[in-house]
Amino acid sequence: MSRKLIGALVALGLGASVATAQDYPTKEIQGIIQWGAGGSTDTVMRSVTPHAEDALGGTIVMQNMTGAVGAIALNHVASAPADGYTLLMGAENPMLYKIMGLGDKDYSEFVPINILARGTPILVANNEAPFDDYAGMMAYIAENPGELRIGSTGPGGVPSVITAMMNTVEGDLDVIAVPYDGDGPALTALQGGAIDVMPAVLGAAIEGIRAGTMKPLVLFDTQASDKLPDVPAVTSFNEDYATYLPWGPFFGVFVPKGTPDDVVAKLSDAYAKGAEHPDFVNLMDNRGFTMMGISGDEAEAFLTKWQQGTAWLLHDAGLTKASPEEFGIARPGE
Amino acid sequence: MDTLLAILTIFAQPELLLLVGAGTFAGIYIGAIPGLSVTMAVSILISFTFSWDVYPAISLMVGIYMGGVYGGSRTAILLNIPGAPSAIATAMDGYPMAQRGEAGQAIGVTTVMSFFGGLVGILVLALAAPFVADFALTFQPRDYMLLAVLGILLVGSLSTGSLVKGIFAGAFGIAVGAVGRDPLTFAERFTFDLQLMEGGISFIAVMIGMFGVSEALLQLQNVNLKSVRQKIDRIVPSFGTIRKYLPLSLQTSSIGVIIGALPGTGGDIAALMAYDHAKRVTKNPKVPFGKGAMEGLVAPETANNAAVGGAFIPMMTLGIPGDAVTAIMIGALFIHGLNPGPMLMIDRPDMFWFIVGALLTANVFMLIFGLTGIKIFTKIVEMPRSVIIPLILLLSIVGAYAVNNRVSDVYWMLGFGVFGYFMRHYGYPLGPVILGVILSRLLDDNWRRAIISEREDLGRFFEGIVTSPLSLVLFVAVILIFVSQTPLWTALKIRLFRKATS
Repeated sequence: MSRKLIGALVALGLGASVATAQDYPTKEIQGIIQWGAGGSTDTVMRSVTPHAEDALGGTIVMQNMTGAVGAIALNHVASAPADGYTLLMGAENPMLYKIMGLGDKDYSEFVPINILARGTPILVANNEAPFDDYAGMMAYIAENPGELRIGSTGPGGVPSVITAMMNTVEGDLDVIAVPYDGDGPALTALQGGAIDVMPAVLGAAIEGIRAGTMKPLVLFDTQASDKLPDVPAVTSFNEDYATYLPWGPFFGVFVPKGTPDDVVAKLSDAYAKGAEHPDFVNLMDNRGFTMMGISGDEAEAFLTKWQQGTAWLLHDAGLTKASPEEFGIARPGE
Repeated sequence: MDTLLAILTIFAQPELLLLVGAGTFAGIYIGAIPGLSVTMAVSILISFTFSWDVYPAISLMVGIYMGGVYGGSRTAILLNIPGAPSAIATAMDGYPMAQRGEAGQAIGVTTVMSFFGGLVGILVLALAAPFVADFALTFQPRDYMLLAVLGILLVGSLSTGSLVKGIFAGAFGIAVGAVGRDPLTFAERFTFDLQLMEGGISFIAVMIGMFGVSEALLQLQNVNLKSVRQKIDRIVPSFGTIRKYLPLSLQTSSIGVIIGALPGTGGDIAALMAYDHAKRVTKNPKVPFGKGAMEGLVAPETANNAAVGGAFIPMMTLGIPGDAVTAIMIGALFIHGLNPGPMLMIDRPDMFWFIVGALLTANVFMLIFGLTGIKIFTKIVEMPRSVIIPLILLLSIVGAYAVNNRVSDVYWMLGFGVFGYFMRHYGYPLGPVILGVILSRLLDDNWRRAIISEREDLGRFFEGIVTSPLSLVLFVAVILIFVSQTPLWTALKIRLFRKATS
């Protein structure tokens, strides 16, 4: 009886693996979104996936799995079978889990299906703030040490990286970092005057800037954006920023390492087509994201470079729990 | 004229009307089942309605939202299990009414009052949205903190019996809310290095366990008891009844709108605060609170439905979500090619008025569906307990799993259910535990933000409270409520009274 059962199970397993390679997908695919409903990652994934489904000819059921800065979703997908039926839809955070002491896994245990887009950081200020540009803010910080309140979203978030960049380039700035759980709540607080300055993603701040409820100071990029041509790039104030820029958070779809190559190819192809859909391109453009749409080796190279640059920047600023060296993350350029 | 046309769009297209109706109907049931939440339903709808036009998609979501907030009261009244966090206060007086065979009357009043609260919320949204949004923005971290302290003082009115036990239960709730990675610094708290604890304890799992499972366990003791026959002749409350509660419901609706409009607080806190308010302003209730007072039903139900309109205020005027559901709706608007933000009101005023129209319609549907299905619904309580109890347990398990699709949440839920059962046996009230869990983060996060902003200087912190009118009002309210609920006040009153007579 038990031998028969084992035999049946083995046969079933073999049958399944053969089926996987040939006519993938034969059942519903699960898409695990790392962040909550309504957030940036959620919006991006829910708007690209239906187009990818059309190209794939299958169904992808998306579900939000939040908690522990996205680590719960990451661990869930990492421990799922590598058969292409569980996708991780995530943002940049896992690349910093190891050095931040948040987990022992990152995207190196995954194969990137598609890195869809990248955001551009922008520094915005409360309308009542006594300065109107980057230089003015620097002068204000110098004259009023420990008075300027900068919004933050916890260690490893976009604001922490931007602040680390500023500390590295301009020397240590004496400011107060007030933590919020996400750039949405922080930008709300900025408008209410609870914080003075917030490093946010362009897409999150752009509607507020257009309506005049907050003022843009400087764009953290090497050139101005065609969305906001009047806002200068930070490199126009200080050339040293060019070492770290362009930098930005990103969104990507991943599967666990070990997924059959032809399944990866099918998924990559589907998401590449989905990302080209005019509706999606339009949406991303409206929100101020830069389209990337890279996969394969190109995506791996991007991830490695991103991780090296960001990890060492944060480590040098003294914000990490462990040295990137411990995890074999090389210093950029080495 | 354009405005009126936009509000009426919904009637011009029968398809939209149908969707709002279907949404409201589905919402009532989603809300009534513990664990199936409006937030979950709306986020599933985003994918489901992806290829639709924006109007039909929003119609369905608005219907579900309105119906769901109301639906939570059903199971709260009939089974003592709130279907949604915003119905926790409703159970406290609704269930005793059902035990007396007045479930029909309780549901009738709840429905009409939810309709009234919803209407107030929508009116404020339509007429004063920009002002309320500006006011909501002026709330600083210290104000949110004071609001949370004000909320914690509700322990007094949620504790039936011993206040000390109530305080213990509230403190326990605050500790439960703090478990997991702290969202501000990502430091682990109370996790004992277990991966299971890292994500924190799901608040919904705690709620379902404490109210659902513990209730089912408690009912086991009188499994053979004949169930109460429900009187269902007087469902629609008389005009006189409605007029009697009109002043109270206006006050509690205002509480609902403001709390709903504040980003970071929603219908659950609004309903609890309204309940507390009702308890304080009602001098001589016909039936004492906690034993089936009508006021205890009117207050939370007007407030949580008024909070719906309130939550749309910052969403429509500023692109800032008023609660979890409106956060998802903002995402839906993005996906449908709109740009929610301060410019939406200027670029697409039709969208604003369309939502007002959809909310109004959903509110009317809620009244209709709410008042028509009662007879069948009350049959639930008349079912033998040997059928109801397994049903409650099944729903609790499904609900707890559905929140995050995690089996560990089911274990938490069962654990808290057994714990809640013993708490009830030893006379510890459960309401304060849930209150603590809800307010834990509001209090903790905002206290830290407030004190960090003042360079960790208590002097500057209090200076801020004294110089800001809003903070000062909240601070004085905290002190007054605190003093009035402690023995100090009674002692003072006696002394003053003696002086006056001597």
